[in-house]
Amino acid sequence: MIVRMSKLEIAGPRGLLLDVLDTIRELGTFQLEEDGAAAQAAGLPASPQPQGADARTVTERLFLENIRRQTSEIISLLPALDIRENGLDPLAILDTIAVTASRHLATCRELAERYQALQREEQELVRYKVLLSAIDRLVKGQDTRSGLEYIGITLRDPSFVEQLCEALTCLVDGECTLTTTVADDGTLIGLIVTTASRAKSIRQLLSDQQMPELPLPESLGRLSLPERISGLEESLSATRRAMEETVAEQDRFARSWLAFYRQVNQWLVERLALLSVTASVQRTGMCFVIHGWALTEETGVLEERLNSRFGDRVAVEHCAILEQDLEKVPVALRNPSYFRPFELLTRLLPLPRYSSWDPTPFIGIFFPLFFGMMLGDAGHGLVLLTASLLLLWRRPSGAMGDAARILLISSSYAILFGILFGEFFGEAGGRLLHLTPILPERSRAVIPMLIFSLALGASHVVLGLLLGLITDIRRHKRGEAAVRIVTIALIACLAYLVTAYIYPSPWLVTRPVLILVGLLLPLLILSGGLLAPLEMVKTVGNIVSYARIMAIGLSSALLANAANQMAGLTGNLILGTLAAITLHAVAIVLGLFAPAIHALRLHLVEFFSKFVEPGGKRFNPLHK
Amino acid sequence: MEKVLICFAAALAVGLCALATAWAQSRIGAATAGTIAERPELTGTVIIMLAIPETIVILGFVVATMILNK
Repeated sequence: MIVRMSKLEIAGPRGLLLDVLDTIRELGTFQLEEDGAAAQAAGLPASPQPQGADARTVTERLFLENIRRQTSEIISLLPALDIRENGLDPLAILDTIAVTASRHLATCRELAERYQALQREEQELVRYKVLLSAIDRLVKGQDTRSGLEYIGITLRDPSFVEQLCEALTCLVDGECTLTTTVADDGTLIGLIVTTASRAKSIRQLLSDQQMPELPLPESLGRLSLPERISGLEESLSATRRAMEETVAEQDRFARSWLAFYRQVNQWLVERLALLSVTASVQRTGMCFVIHGWALTEETGVLEERLNSRFGDRVAVEHCAILEQDLEKVPVALRNPSYFRPFELLTRLLPLPRYSSWDPTPFIGIFFPLFFGMMLGDAGHGLVLLTASLLLLWRRPSGAMGDAARILLISSSYAILFGILFGEFFGEAGGRLLHLTPILPERSRAVIPMLIFSLALGASHVVLGLLLGLITDIRRHKRGEAAVRIVTIALIACLAYLVTAYIYPSPWLVTRPVLILVGLLLPLLILSGGLLAPLEMVKTVGNIVSYARIMAIGLSSALLANAANQMAGLTGNLILGTLAAITLHAVAIVLGLFAPAIHALRLHLVEFFSKFVEPGGKRFNPLHK
Repeated sequence: MEKVLICFAAALAVGLCALATAWAQSRIGAATAGTIAERPELTGTVIIMLAIPETIVILGFVVATMILNK
């Protein structure tokens, strides 16, 4: 159902604007009218009022926005501790907060930068440690006091080792050795041992070959390799200690200030939201007027709250909803619990206008009916019912919960129609359980089922036209109402003629009805124009489209029968059972999707096009 | 011979309609894939749109059934 809306005007002294808006936001039942037409009608300046002229508001917004940005950054830089907030009112100490926040932001930035630098240093040192540990393994066993030079390198590819060996032989003529090992992180490490006189030319060669020596922090750069390894350990420990101290400092700061800044930030976010809303409010130098929409049943609470808080300083007035307002009224849908899951399906459509109909109850009634008629097998329905109950057992929320409830209702209808058609995993199952078909068997009575489907389609489409007629009468659209009346009359005549053709009887006289059709056709053109007959043909096409109920039902029944026959052809109990389970599983999956999509399509294309006017705006109240 | 022709007519009725539906759905499918990439919230509407040309094959199936039941 589309919830009734009231058009309200709230007026009061300008100084109370933010407090009034805050009260409205607390209730969350009022939507601001952003169109300035209403204001112009009331003799007030149209929205948006030139905000540039209101220097005080702009200054306040910039000031608050600056503090909000600073507090947000402070919160993001500090560790996310779970600390209880205090009850301080930020408004009273806003100037102090502005000064303190800049100072604290500088402190937080410095701490964060220091920590990041230490973290980078630690990562580098850990990597050096891995590489130098590998080199250390190569150095062990060699005399480190013999005045030899050690050059550590990383090799990108094992194939480089041979190339490097050849290059070194040519360069220093055997006055060096190259040994390699694999570090803990998988890097191939090489160690070149040579005399001090040859070291320079080897380094030049490595540079030319793009194999730079392992870089080390500057503090370790002047040390020999064994000294570097022990120095690295010390640097790593010192870096880790410094990191721990920085974290402790951040933690101390957060425990002192984080809760406060969280509270200030939240207050600022709400305050700025209120200030941004004021752009949609009409104001003079002395007063303000808020135009908007509220749920009719909630207007009493809104008036009571405003009255108790502001007394007679703020006035609330109910305005009449005029014809030209209908397109602007926001739409809120509210349905009984049975229909609520079906809102999932109506969300596939654009929102209906306020003056139109909520399609949810109709889809709630007819969707399971069509689904049940198309699936029409008690066994398949039972499987789907069990699946839906299993889904609901996990208490799903949102779209999944709604889908499970729709499946529960639809599968119940499938069981009901399965009993009526005498089908339980096909006709054979129905015979085994002694199910007597109450309705004609779908796989044999094709023509009666087709007639039944078309009759159902005609009734459904006529219902849609009647609902559209009611809307037209409500909105005083006489021309469109006349077209609908003539269309309904023509459908009734056509149904009569088709019945007379299929079931000839002396009681069914066709001549007067044919004359009536001849009279109605000019009336249709007169009321609806030259395109009206085309619309009539389209409506007939919509009715014919309901033949899919028979077609999909027939294919569903034949598929189940085919599954039974193929299972019987195996001639083996176990193989037959397995084949039957597999084939019926396929039939159930097809039986779930095809009827669901086609039942939905019949609603969205054939039925709703007759009475649902799309283009509604969703009710979006101010709320915290 | 007459039975063969009846069956052939029924097969043509449903087969040609199936080809027409497949062609229409291929065009809609390509367009809707682009739609979903840009606006995923329209997935439900797109599925319904894909089902629209199925009317052709369903009506073909109905005609074929009527031919066979003649």
